Amino acid sequence: MKVEIYIIKERCKGCGICVEVCQAKVLELSEELNSQGFRTPNVKNPEECLNCGMCEMFCSDFAIWVSIETEKVGV
Amino acid sequence: MKSIERYHPADSFLNTDSFPSVWCPGCGIGTAVYAFIESVREANIDLDKIAVISGIGCTGKIAECLKLNTYSVTDGSVVDYAVQLKEKDKDLTVAVFLNNADFLLSGAKDFIDAGKKGADLIVIYVNNFICAISENKIFPISPFMRMSIDNEFELPYNIPYLAKSCGANYVARWTPIHAGWMKYSIIEGILKKGFSVIEVVSPCLLYNANNGSIQDAVDRMRFYNDNSEIKVGEPAENLDLRSQNKVIIGKFVDSEEKEGRVQR
Repeated sequence: MKVEIYIIKERCKGCGICVEVCQAKVLELSEELNSQGFRTPNVKNPEECLNCGMCEMFCSDFAIWVSIETEKVGV
Repeated sequence: MKSIERYHPADSFLNTDSFPSVWCPGCGIGTAVYAFIESVREANIDLDKIAVISGIGCTGKIAECLKLNTYSVTDGSVVDYAVQLKEKDKDLTVAVFLNNADFLLSGAKDFIDAGKKGADLIVIYVNNFICAISENKIFPISPFMRMSIDNEFELPYNIPYLAKSCGANYVARWTPIHAGWMKYSIIEGILKKGFSVIEVVSPCLLYNANNGSIQDAVDRMRFYNDNSEIKVGEPAENLDLRSQNKVIIGKFVDSEEKEGRVQR
């Protein structure tokens, strides 16, 4: 199963909830800062992702989401 | 890693120019908006037949960030506006986002009226325990035993009990960590005829800082997880936010439309 993880770094506020709720330990907080000065999450090991959608559910800024069918995502 | 080129699944509902949003990291309003968008999508509601009304303050910004028929109306007339909108168009699904200033400070009469008449609304009340104009004063939903600078305190309202007693058909309470439950609650509230009230207990991170409250978003979520207890069908009398060790959450009232009530 190939899961794509998308992150819009400019929307992120660096709260770290997505890193914490990820049971498969896919994400980590990176050292690089976005334009607002927040530490954004980084995809550490994308092969482990289970597509549970917890990071997407708890991101209150709509900055991260996961998807299997990459072509069907869109407006 | 890819980014920017693709769109978030909720982006068709969002006014993406307003992002990054104004809410603090760890705030429950963003989770409530996510749950609302997901519930609208899962309930398959026509987007032309839904209206979102919010008031002032941080909760009022919901109207700006959604790309639906939204109205940000003045303080205190939010529920009244929603009732009249529903009266004009019976097919409309009307969702109302309330905060303390819209509800307890000046709009409580409209809320009670709407519940009594059985208006077909869904009210999502984000309870953040503050009213920003009264940082050093006491107001109806101050946390238990928080003193003002004059050493006064007030006992807080029991919102689910209030909603039940004024005739709501669906009453639930959740915290931001229970976003999945919140989503299904909002679906049930949308599909149910009559007055539905969902309380989201999400204390403000910024204004409660003086009381030694948790500032970090992750610790805050862990606090919600450890200090809440799901009790479905608990009598509404026991849902006070002061006399219990843990915040009791769940679905408390799920009744059918009462007979003989005047439908508005």
